[in-house]
Amino acid sequence: MKVSYFETARYRPPRPLAPEWPVPSGDYDRDAGADAYRGMIERIRYVEELGFDWVSVSEHHYSPRILTPAPIVSASFIAAQVKRITIALLGPIVPQSNPVRVAEELAMLDTLAEGRLVVGLLRGTTNEYLTYDLNPAEARERTDEGMELILKAWTEPQPFGWQGRHFRYRTISIWPRPLQRPHPPTYALGISRESCEFAARHRLGCGVSYAPFEVVAKATRYYREQCARHGWEPAPEQIVYRANMALAETDDEAHAFLRSQPTTAPFSMRAEVSGAFMTLDSRNVAGEARPAIRSGALPTTFIGGPDTIVEQVRRCRDEVGAGVLDLSLVPPGWGDPDLLMRSLELFGTKVLPRIRDL
Amino acid sequence: MTARPAREGHVQADGVTIPWVETGQGTPLVHVQGVDAPRLTPAHEVLGRQYRVIAFGQPPDDATRSRPELASTMAVAITKLGADTFNLLGSSAGGAVALWLALQARERVLALVLEAPAAIRHGDAGDDLESRLEELATPTLVLFGTRDAVVTPDMGGVYKERIPSCHLVFVYDAGHSIAVDRPEAFSEVVGDFLERHEAFVISRTATVINP
Repeated sequence: MKVSYFETARYRPPRPLAPEWPVPSGDYDRDAGADAYRGMIERIRYVEELGFDWVSVSEHHYSPRILTPAPIVSASFIAAQVKRITIALLGPIVPQSNPVRVAEELAMLDTLAEGRLVVGLLRGTTNEYLTYDLNPAEARERTDEGMELILKAWTEPQPFGWQGRHFRYRTISIWPRPLQRPHPPTYALGISRESCEFAARHRLGCGVSYAPFEVVAKATRYYREQCARHGWEPAPEQIVYRANMALAETDDEAHAFLRSQPTTAPFSMRAEVSGAFMTLDSRNVAGEARPAIRSGALPTTFIGGPDTIVEQVRRCRDEVGAGVLDLSLVPPGWGDPDLLMRSLELFGTKVLPRIRDL
Repeated sequence: MTARPAREGHVQADGVTIPWVETGQGTPLVHVQGVDAPRLTPAHEVLGRQYRVIAFGQPPDDATRSRPELASTMAVAITKLGADTFNLLGSSAGGAVALWLALQARERVLALVLEAPAAIRHGDAGDDLESRLEELATPTLVLFGTRDAVVTPDMGGVYKERIPSCHLVFVYDAGHSIAVDRPEAFSEVVGDFLERHEAFVISRTATVINP
């Protein structure tokens, strides 16, 4: 089992913020923001020292908890601060990006980071569509087409044009190309039927997140079936599971910690907007319909002291088939950074050595 | 101006009978289809607003005629239909005949479009088409569908590399019959290329939302 640390550049507001999204920019505290990024680098260096395999970053807009609207910037800055750890850029939101630009930036970063890049491409969560004015009805198609174009831009040796449904270019010929051949290890991130099928068709990895084992296992099972249909079998490392983990010295402490965490989603859109999204944006787990917006906080699927966690990781390996765990140890935002450092240390010393060979 | 109705017939050339169908008016756009019986597609109807589209089926190939011979027969047939200079479109196996025709009648062919050409087949074609491609000065557009299961789209790069004034465009989510799978996308890029040749790389798409 490989282990990835999900870094969110966690921002700690000096004053409570309004719980409605979008939160006014004027309430942002510049010094707290600078602290958030200093903390990011401190944690990255620490997880490298602890022996984590990857550090991952994501793309989130207008988020007071996760200050990474431009993951290429955070990934590049991180890559310059550490030496060995793999940088997992899990999340250019493809439907609202210029795919050629994404291909160029990732190729450049892969080269600058001397081949330490892993890439995840995704459709993005519903709220992100408001930021760049994306029609949810087009998001799925733009994602599939954009991902295919990114792969083509990385691999086609001759200049070419692209006559798509949503993207049209007459001249594409990127420099640099990625350092890794044919391109960095790439995952389609998502539990939808479409995402799994895309990954299988293009021999990409599959990334699932947050939902309990039995839910994400539906997606990874479907993914593996589709891979078989396309005549190949994914390696364990090609399934990554991003999850929340509540780790403490004992099971009781871990459960007590979890009970202290908020159970509601931190920032909600206006009810009329989220209500409209429920009909305008459609989502599924391996083809089974699910609501576009979840209510409540993201679930925590690993809870306990080191022994319990090791058992849960073993179960995850067996049931989900994941070969990479991408972990958030304390929910972003309000979490105490010192507590996070202690959790990372506990994980690095008491859990990591015992799950390596799973 | 009302559109002329589609017309069809047969033309005799070099002792063989070649079926054709035709729609639209304007500068001729000759289509060498990779099928025996020619047929009009929705893409032809769109291109027919600007061009006199003449689609030829394959002349009966008795296996004694080489691809260069088929091409010169086709040139005779095109002359007989009253087309002197023309744009040329070749699909699949028709792409090889179109390439030979463009090499043989270079002053007559204004621009060449190859739709998923099956023209370069290492070793078994029995002619030297591949080595002749560098002589081609005609503005050329090569199209491949990203889902082509007959000729792998990777072949597109081979044409792009060999033909001096070649542009390669991938048509997303189209299979081997691009004009059938994505008629609007096909007509748009082909129409733009026929109109502007290599300058078609310069965007004319307006992005103003409200002035």
